[in-house]
Amino acid sequence: MSILSVISISKNYGPIKALHDVSFEVPKGSVFGILGPNGSGKTTLLGIITDVLKASSGNYLWLGKPGSHEQRKQIGTLLETPNFYPYLSGTDNLAVAAAIKGRGANDTDRVLEMVNLFQRRKSRFNTYSLGMKQRLAIASTLLGDPDILVFDEPTNGLDPAGIAEIRQLIKELNRQGKTIIMASHILDEVEKVCTHVAIIQKGVLKTVGTVEQVLSSTHDENLQVINIASNDLTKLGAIVREMPGISAVQITDGAIELTTDSTIDPAEINRYCFEKGVVLNSLSLKRKSLETSFLEITGKKSDR
Amino acid sequence: MIQLLRIEWLKIRSYKTFWILLGAFVLLFPVTYYFSASKYMETINTRTQESTMINSILGAPFVFPKVWHSAAWFGGLFFLLLGMLFILLITNEVQYRTHRQNIIDGWSRTDFILAKSSVMVCFILISTLLVFLSGLIVGLVFTPSSSSASLFEGIKYVWYFALMATEYLVLAFLVAILIKRTGLAIIIYFTTVCIIDNLLWILLTLKDSQLGYFVLLEPTDSLVPNPFKPSMLERRKASDTSLLLTALAYIGAFGYIILSSFRRSDLKT
Repeated sequence: MSILSVISISKNYGPIKALHDVSFEVPKGSVFGILGPNGSGKTTLLGIITDVLKASSGNYLWLGKPGSHEQRKQIGTLLETPNFYPYLSGTDNLAVAAAIKGRGANDTDRVLEMVNLFQRRKSRFNTYSLGMKQRLAIASTLLGDPDILVFDEPTNGLDPAGIAEIRQLIKELNRQGKTIIMASHILDEVEKVCTHVAIIQKGVLKTVGTVEQVLSSTHDENLQVINIASNDLTKLGAIVREMPGISAVQITDGAIELTTDSTIDPAEINRYCFEKGVVLNSLSLKRKSLETSFLEITGKKSDR
Repeated sequence: MIQLLRIEWLKIRSYKTFWILLGAFVLLFPVTYYFSASKYMETINTRTQESTMINSILGAPFVFPKVWHSAAWFGGLFFLLLGMLFILLITNEVQYRTHRQNIIDGWSRTDFILAKSSVMVCFILISTLLVFLSGLIVGLVFTPSSSSASLFEGIKYVWYFALMATEYLVLAFLVAILIKRTGLAIIIYFTTVCIIDNLLWILLTLKDSQLGYFVLLEPTDSLVPNPFKPSMLERRKASDTSLLLTALAYIGAFGYIILSSFRRSDLKT
């Protein structure tokens, strides 16, 4: 059974369609990324499945049943920004959340330790830095050790070390068998953390599936991308344009991106350039990234 | 309900403004009331012709049985402090977005309204108890031993106060839920209570009409009229029961709008 079924959800704000007929299933045990540019409808969708927003049409099921507040007690959710009482300490804020979830307050220390906030647990929330507020919000989602977690931009406001830590935590939670639904506009994050991805653009679901499926759906099997560089890019560009099997040459920032037949071995390019009198100082076969797929799926900048 | 109240207590027990406004009501009302009574009785006891006349017109407002009436009226004067506090407690949730978080964490929309209602009930109980105690103490101190009035005659004014407190708080609740922004909500609440309500009363009591007594907060205001207004100036003919029922109808209607609007709406800031 799916953890979450989103069934034909639409949301209109007057004439603006924030979501249009969005449907997908979140399988158990997945890290499900909802990817889209800012303003694409990710948070609106998460708002609907957590009942803070009302869908204009369509519905959703958690574990096969219509959403209810009793189910939400079993789901840890961080929506948009950390929402806490500024005059209460970290511990007291978590005590409120734990009481609403119907859990004892004795779990707060455990979750505060999990996000490295235990030392500052008695400080008031309004004295926390942006990163600490985000950590507290993540700690709050972990209260009662729920099997389902919903994160909206979980690494927002964190420093690079914090980002790595939270990504690690998400992977660890997933290893423990938890299902994680995560909205993000950071492609790299989704690619590093998620097993599944849904791409939303202007409120429309563009594609959904495992990360591999989404990558391969836009992948032309007969082509590959190779990056090369030398001390003289202009000369290098002129040489490789004449090499057979090269279909496109693009000079980018300090390197040249070649689109070639997939039959061409990078070593051949190296040899060819050397024979033509140019020594390469960099050569790499570029793996197709989710970024490339994302840009292909969502189109040009002006469309986004 | 008790569990919801317990959670509300976790939220407000460290909130300074809560203690300041509640403290202001709990101190200012009884102290002002006691000193007004003391000053009045001092003047009356000079036994000049003028003071005796005033007392006979006003009917000894700080002595049993009229003391309950004056206590309820004085309580009403200071009650806007609690109205303002109640608005703050609701609009703060919107400002901090914790009204969303409470729902996300597992409250139903109805739970949220019931939780705030439980705080409202506490405010009503505390303020009514304070009116009762203030009336009792002032009555015991200033009623001459020769008086034959029974202690609890006229105690209905304490219940009228409770009804007034309820209507004022339910209106505050409604304004806070619909307006959401703290400053604007407080301005609209005060404007309604202090200006609009009285203007409507004036307009609708022209030419001896009784309609003005049934507008917004007037039913409960009229149940506890100014005790220093000589009864011969009273123009109200509408019965206490009709005002009481109207007040209950307003409370019910406001409550219905609060619940249905909060259950239907998107929780945005």
